[in-house]
Amino acid sequence: MEERLLKGKNAIVTGCTRGIGRSIVEIFAQNGANIWACARKKTEEFEETLQLLSDKFNIEIKPVYFDLTDKEKMKIAVRTIMSDKKDIDILVNNAGITYNALFQMSTIDKLNEVFDVNFISPFLFTQYIVKIMLRKRSGSIINIASSAAIDGNPGRSVYGASKAALLCATKSLAAELGDQGIRANVIAPGITKTEMLSSMTEEVINQTVINTDMKRSGEPIDIANAVLFLASDLSSYVTGQVIRVDGGM
Amino acid sequence: MLLTGKNAVITGCLKGIGRSTLETIAINGSNVWACALAPDEEFEIFCQDLANENNVWIKPVYFDLSDHEQIKTALKQIASDKQPINILVNIAGMTKDALFHMIPMDQMKLIFEVNFFAQMYITQFITKLMVRQKVGSVVNISSISALDGSYGQLSYSASKAAIIGATKTLSIELADKGVRVNALAPGVIDTDMVKAVPEDIIMKRINQISLKRLGHVDEVSKAVLFLASDLSDYISGQVIRIDGGI
Repeated sequence: MEERLLKGKNAIVTGCTRGIGRSIVEIFAQNGANIWACARKKTEEFEETLQLLSDKFNIEIKPVYFDLTDKEKMKIAVRTIMSDKKDIDILVNNAGITYNALFQMSTIDKLNEVFDVNFISPFLFTQYIVKIMLRKRSGSIINIASSAAIDGNPGRSVYGASKAALLCATKSLAAELGDQGIRANVIAPGITKTEMLSSMTEEVINQTVINTDMKRSGEPIDIANAVLFLASDLSSYVTGQVIRVDGGM
Repeated sequence: MLLTGKNAVITGCLKGIGRSTLETIAINGSNVWACALAPDEEFEIFCQDLANENNVWIKPVYFDLSDHEQIKTALKQIASDKQPINILVNIAGMTKDALFHMIPMDQMKLIFEVNFFAQMYITQFITKLMVRQKVGSVVNISSISALDGSYGQLSYSASKAAIIGATKTLSIELADKGVRVNALAPGVIDTDMVKAVPEDIIMKRINQISLKRLGHVDEVSKAVLFLASDLSDYISGQVIRIDGGI
C-alpha cells in the first residue's frame, strides 16, 4: 500500500521548475496533496509534468507564475491562490538564488539581489499566506535555507547571510504562531545535486563531499523527503527547528 | 507503511515513548525485538496482538540495563535469529532528580550505566551487524535537558548529553558504511515522568512552549519513524528537538 502522508492537504511550493522544488512537488503529489506549484516562467515541459503528476496521483496541481522580486506580481499570485477559496495547510518557501564571491569581492548590487530573492520575498509571501492559514488555525511552513547559513563557508558571506536571515525569521515566526496551531521549521540542505552546484568549482564540491560523514552528496529527493516530514503530521510537535539534511557535516 | 520488511531492535518498550515507538514501528510494517526490563504478561499480550494486527513478528526480549551479563545474553539471543537488523532505537532510560550537591556518586554512576554505558554496549553489538550488512539506522533518545540544562537533573541531563556526543562521533565513524546515526531530543512529553511533577510547574513549562501544550508520546515515536525510515536517507549526525518550540 502506498503511503499518503498528505492526503487531502493543500500546499504551496515556490521554485518548482527544477531541482529541489521539482522533487518536492513530486513527493507531495505522491503523498496526496493538492499543490499550487509556483515558478517564475511558464514552460510547456513544466505544465506537462504537472499534468502527468496530477493524473497519476489523482490530485490537483495548479501552476502559479510570478517573479519573486516583483512584489506586484506576487500580490496578484496570492490573489489567484486565494480565489480558489481553499484552505492552505502547507507553505514551502523553496525558491532561491545562489551567489559565490569572497567577502571583499561581493558587490552591493548582488547583496541586494540575493537578499531580495532569498529573504525579503519569502518573508512577504509568508505574511500573505499566514493570514490565510490563521483562519483555520493550523498549518506548516517550511523554509529551505542551507548549511551555509550555519557553518560560514568561504565565498558564502552573502548567500549564507541571506539564508541565516530566513532561518532566524522562521524561529521567530514559530514562537509567534505556535499557539495558533501553525508550525514553522527550516530545512538546511548540505551539498545537493542541483544546478546550484554549477556555481562551485569541482574541487570545492569534491572537498565538501569528502567532509560529509556519508561521503556522498545529497539528491533533491533526500531534501524533499525531509520537507515531507515537516509538512506532515509526523512532525506535529516539531516547530522552530532547523533540520540539516547534509549527510553529516 | 514506511518500514515494510525491516527489522528493528527497540529498548524500553514497556511504557511511555518506548511503547508508542514499538506500536508506530510495527504499524509501519517492521518486525521488532521489543526489549523491556522484565517479563510482563500484559506486555506479552500487547506484543502478540500488535504483531497479529500488523502481520509482523514481535519478540519480547528481557534484560536489566544495569547488568552487562543480561544484556550480552539478550543480544546473543537476538543475533541467533540470524535476521538482518535495520533499525536500533535506544529509548530505555531512567532519572533520579536531585540538586547537584545532594547527588550520591553511586546514583550518578547508576544513571550513566543505564542511560549511557548500556546503550553504548548494545549499540556496539548491533552496529557491528549493521556494518556487515552495510545498512542501518540508529536512533538515540536524548533530551532537551542535555542541550538546555534542567534544574535538579544533573545526572540525567549529563548522561543524555553524552548520548549526543556519541551520536555525532558514531555518525562520523559509521555513516560512510551505510549506518546512519541520529538523536531525538524530546521536550516535555506527557508521560508518567511528567505526571509526577506538580501542576503549577508544568503550567509554567507549557507557557514557555511555542505550541502551548505538552507533547504526546506518539509525537516522539512519529519522529523516530522518520529517522528510522528511508525518508531520512541523507540525515546523519543530527539532533532533532521534538519540543513544540522552546
